[in-house]
This record gives sequence, C-alpha cells and structure tokens, in this order.
Amino acid sequence: MSPRTPATAAGRPARGTSAPAAVAGATSPLAELARSARIIVCCGSGGVGKTSTAAAVALWAAQSGRRTCVLTIDPARRLAQALGLDLLSNAPRPVRAKALPARGPGSLDAMMLDMRRTFDEVIERYARDTEQADRILANRFYQRLSSTLAGTQEYMAMEKLYELHESQRYDLLVVDTPPTRSALDFLDAPDNLNELLDARAFRLLIAPAQRIGRGYLRGLNLATTAMTKMVRRVTGSELLAEVGEFFAAFEGMYDGFKARAGLVYDQLKHPSTAFVVVATPEGAALREAAYFAGRLAADRMPLGALVVNRIHQARPVPEVPAAARRRLAADGADGRLLADLLELHDGLETLAEAEQRRVRELLASVPNLGVVQVPLLADDVHDLAGLRRLGDYLFT
Amino acid sequence: MLKVLDRARLLVVTGKGGTGKTTVAASLGVAAAGRGRRVLVAEVEGRQGLAGLFGRGELDYREARVGERLHALAVDPDESLREYLARYGFAPLARLLTWANLNRFITAAAPGLGDVLLVGKVWEAATRQVRPGSGGPGAYDLVVLDAPPTGRVVPFLRAPETVAELARVGPIRHQADRVKDLLDDPERTAVVLTCLPEELPVAETLEGVAALREAGLPVAGVVANRVTGDRLGGRAARLPALARDPGPLAAAAAGAGAGAELDRAALGTLVEEARDRQRLVTRERRLLKELRAGLDGLPMVELPFLAGGVAGPEEVRALAGHLVPAGPGAAAGVVEEQELAPDRSGRDQARRAAGAGSGGG
Repeated sequence: MSPRTPATAAGRPARGTSAPAAVAGATSPLAELARSARIIVCCGSGGVGKTSTAAAVALWAAQSGRRTCVLTIDPARRLAQALGLDLLSNAPRPVRAKALPARGPGSLDAMMLDMRRTFDEVIERYARDTEQADRILANRFYQRLSSTLAGTQEYMAMEKLYELHESQRYDLLVVDTPPTRSALDFLDAPDNLNELLDARAFRLLIAPAQRIGRGYLRGLNLATTAMTKMVRRVTGSELLAEVGEFFAAFEGMYDGFKARAGLVYDQLKHPSTAFVVVATPEGAALREAAYFAGRLAADRMPLGALVVNRIHQARPVPEVPAAARRRLAADGADGRLLADLLELHDGLETLAEAEQRRVRELLASVPNLGVVQVPLLADDVHDLAGLRRLGDYLFT
Repeated sequence: MLKVLDRARLLVVTGKGGTGKTTVAASLGVAAAGRGRRVLVAEVEGRQGLAGLFGRGELDYREARVGERLHALAVDPDESLREYLARYGFAPLARLLTWANLNRFITAAAPGLGDVLLVGKVWEAATRQVRPGSGGPGAYDLVVLDAPPTGRVVPFLRAPETVAELARVGPIRHQADRVKDLLDDPERTAVVLTCLPEELPVAETLEGVAALREAGLPVAGVVANRVTGDRLGGRAARLPALARDPGPLAAAAAGAGAGAELDRAALGTLVEEARDRQRLVTRERRLLKELRAGLDGLPMVELPFLAGGVAGPEEVRALAGHLVPAGPGAAAGVVEEQELAPDRSGRDQARRAAGAGSGGG
C-alpha cells in the first residue's frame, strides 16, 4: 500500500461525480441553504445525527441573522437535550438568550410537536362549531387515533409546519423528522390523508342504510349490509360504531383538510424548501439515504444536500513489508506494540476507505447532490457548544 | 441472555434507531438456532434489512428457510389482513376489502391498525401448533421480532389491546387478550434492547427500559453493539510518553528492518491514531459502566465493532458466536448468565474487530 490521501472534513462542490477526495476551501452546500431557504427538512434513518444536524443548522442560521425555529417531531426528547431545554411545548420557545450573540436580528426558537395537542387544534380550527369539535374530541376512535396509534403525528407535523410558515414569524424553519420510514409517511401525509378521507366505500359501509336511500343504490346497499354484518362479527360492533361516529362527526371537514394538505404539499415542493438527507458512512444508513434521495427526486421535491456524519479518517503511513512486520511481532514488548499500532492503523485505513467508497457509490446514484462530510467527533453533541462545533464542520 | 435464548418463545428486539436492531435480531436468531431451537426471525418495518444479513435478495410474507432450523420473513400488513380474515372464515370479506380500497385505509391512513395485524401475525407464529402431516408452515420454538425503535415499541406491542378496548367481543377482542397473555408472560416473552456505547443511546436505552417496564413488558437485557475493541489494554498508558519520544518504537522498527518506512513522522502518526482510538475506548468504557449501573442487575452483553461492517451471513455468524459461549458446557445445555467483554477471547477477536474507530475530529 502506498501513502493515501486523507479524507477531509470539508465540503465538496455540488457535482455528482465520483471524484474521490473532498475539495478544500469549497463552499459548503449548506451555507447557501441556511442563507436563503425558508424551510429545511432534515431526514434520514435513526441514529445518524439528524436532530443534532437540524439544531446546528438552525443555530448557524440564527447566528447569521435569521429568525429561525427548529421543530422536531421525534418522540424522544433529544432536541431538548441538545438545546439544553428541559421541556419543549407545542409552541415555539426561545432558546436561552445568552446562548446566542446579542447583536443582529437573528433569533432561535425550538419546539417539539405534541401531536395530540396539534390534532385537537386542527379539529377545533376546522369544525363548523364547538358542538362538532366536541363530538370528535370525545370520540374514542379519534382519541386512539390521535394519541396512541402511530402515523398520525406525521400528518400533524405537516399541519404545524404549515401553520408556522404561514405565521411569517420566522425566516427559516428547520424540521427534524423521525427515522426514514416514518419520514416517508411525512412526505406521503397529504396523499394518505386524502385516501383516508376518500375511503368513501368505508363511509358507505358504516353509514346508516337510509343515508344511501336512492333506488339505484339498492343492490349496493344489500351488499354493504352483508359486508357490515361480516365486519361486525370480526371487529365487535362497538369498534365499528365508534369508527362510524368518527366519520359522521367529521362530515363537512373533509374539504378543508384536503385543501390544507394540498397547500402543505405544494410548500414542500416549492424551491424555497430544501430537503437535507443525513446519514452515517455505514451501509444501512447510506442505503436508506439513497432510497430517500430517490424518493424525493421521484416526487420532485427539492433535494438540498447530503450530510454524512461520523466519517473516519486515517493519515498516511508508509507500507511496511510483511517480513518486517513478522519480525516486529516476534520481537520484544516494543516490537509487539509497534506491530499492534500498525494493525490498528490498517484497520482504520480499511474502514476509512470503505466509507469513502460507499459515499461515492451513493453520490454516483444521485446526480448533482452536494455533500458535506463531518468527521467522527471526540464527544457527543449534547450542548450548544457542541452544536457550534458541529456547525463549523457543516458550514466551512 | 442465554437463559432467554433457550427458554423464551418470543424475543422482541428494540432499541434506539441506528443501534443495530436488525443485526442483533438476526444474530440472536442464528445463536438460538445453533443451540438447537427452531427459530423464526421476523421483520415488521418493511426495510428489508434481514434479507441481506441472511444472504438473500428479498424476503416476503412467506416464511423462508435461511439456515439450519432457521426461517425468516418480512411481515406485511396487507397480507396479514388477508390471512387473518381467511383464518376466521372471512375470505370473501378480504376480497371485498380489496375492492373497497380498505386495505389502504387500514395500512396507510391508520398505521396503528396495521400494527394490530403485524403483532397478530407474530403472535400466531410464536404460538402456532402444527398438526402432524398438515402440510402447512412448521412450528417454532422461538420467534425473534425485529421490532420498531424504542420510541414506538410500546404502542406497537400494545396496539391489539388499544383497538380491543373498543371491541368488547369478537375475534379481535379474543386475539388481543391472547396476545396480551403472551406479551405479559416473562416465561415466554423477553424484550431485549440494543444500544451503542454513545451518550444519547445510553440515555435512551435507560429511558426505554423504564418505559417498557412501566408498560408491564418483560425486559430481559441489553445488547451493547459496536463496542470498540481494547487492543492495547494496559499498554495504552505508554502512549503519551511515546508521543513525546518515539525512541523505543524507532529502535524496534530499526531492529526489524523497517526503520526507513517507519520514520519519526510515521511513528508519530501511529501513536496519535492509537491515542485517538484509546480516548474512544475510554469513553465507551465509561458509558457502558453508566449503562450497567443504570440497568441495576439486568444482563448486558457486548458485541464488537466490525471494521468491515455487517454485510452478510458471515458477520452475523461471528456476532452470534459472541452471544453464546463456545465449548462443551454449551453443547450439553449447561447455561449460565454470562457477560462477554470484547477482550475476552483475545487476539482472534481483536483481529476481527481490528480498526474500530478513531476519536479524531
């Protein structure tokens, strides 16, 4: 083996070529996003540092003068830890002022989504009157749907994001998403919501027979009655009744919901939004990143950059012939120690090369994606100082 | 951990995202099959992570043989719904649901209802009794479930009960009750959490253990994954002095005829890299000690970081080897709780785990 070019932490220009090394001094693709984007959505699989990355981007933008809010929908309270907040509420709260420079117009707020609270607020906003809202809020199926059953929080994140965007209180919203599969739900939320509301057959199924009423629907009516009987046998009648009541109570709110979901979707597609895919250089995380990037491209969502955290780096060491290594290993304590140090170095080099190869493979499959590589940091990022250090790697 | 591998009927593997749930689930499955149990490893998140680990292109809802006494499948909510309805004699209804687009309603619009079906399918496999000569899928001694991450696992496992609260009678209620019986039974069910020797995963693992216990689910232990091997051990104490003066190493290099390659700059680099790695080892040791203290007697097993990553069956077998001790005791079924430190089996293991991590940055 010959001396190797070390992997560096700098960003590289936004080209999807397979050029091996990063280009020193190049502008980070995140810098432009943090200056001009209105919404940055950080996505990627679990444990890749999404939350820290989102918080570091938000902190950077705030420090460079933008009114910024970082929003997490991750149920674990990680952002709270990272930002030194004990509790995040369902409304944005300012991050401690002393953490930010006093100069300039920039500010940083943070919030964690309380999906149940957001869902309730949405119901209250779109209900005809308090009577309709109360009927829905009291429905047991709704209560389960909004608090326990998974998947609903993605819809609600969309709502909250849009609400904050509409409020124009912020120049930039940075959104941290749940691990990839759920994050795809986030992207799918408008479609899913529409499908839920469009499950007309389901409404037909649970509606009282007289609502169908018309003669030409008689055959269908008979069929649905038979079907209803079967469903009741499977589920027990109360479940069905609760679900039926939920849909009945929801009547008249569909159009508002659908229209709103469409607006949110359009905003996500807007050029002022940027998706940042976050990964680590491990195979599984990069595969998820590739899948996500492909999915965003398919939906024509604006893909901003790829951040690869925890990159290993080996510095060049001349190759030692095998015979000399054997002599070292058979030597005294110093020789054995040196042989072990060489093996550790080889392992690190193998690891660093494997990581760079995997990153290049991903970039080859996604054209025109700017990438930022962040080296493995000596300490976990769990405070504002850590976020600043991370920001230095992300933006310079 | 071994007690669990030999006795449990259902092993639920959860953990913070990115801590290697799927890898650990596959390794536990391989380890249990190696101890003579008939094992099914089930994945429910649709990521197709298991397939590669077992050296297959893709897994689907059918139970596929992936090794001796070892099967795997990716549970699919749509297919589980059809199967569920067919089992209760509602096959025509399944076709009607497809017609009315209700599968999508259930699995896309309200994934929680999908969870009921996924958990139901896992329960079915774990409690399946096979009539001789029935020709259907076989019975298992153990089902290993690659479950959703810690933040979602309690609602996931409790989804059948949640829905059953609304259904006082009928097959959903009946099944929910029996799922609960299985999940609440520490003789049959064991939840294992995966963790990394990093700060946030350790904190989240301890929170996860508390949440699972509060929900009445039997937590059996923690697998600390990707632990950096301590190759140097006590010799690491010499590194600061060698960084100042690499003389002894230079002498050894010259003696072995490598003095030209290993000049002072190269030796300095080697020592610095080893120091970075040692800082990582020290930090990991401290975090694992904190984790162990927080676990309050709950078993914890360590798996080594593999420099080449975990790409397929070979690495999974190596990890499975770390989960069970080799030797005549194990073969005779003599089983003890045992913790496996990464430096336990010496150089062999160090060779496999070589090159894990630098603390640079």
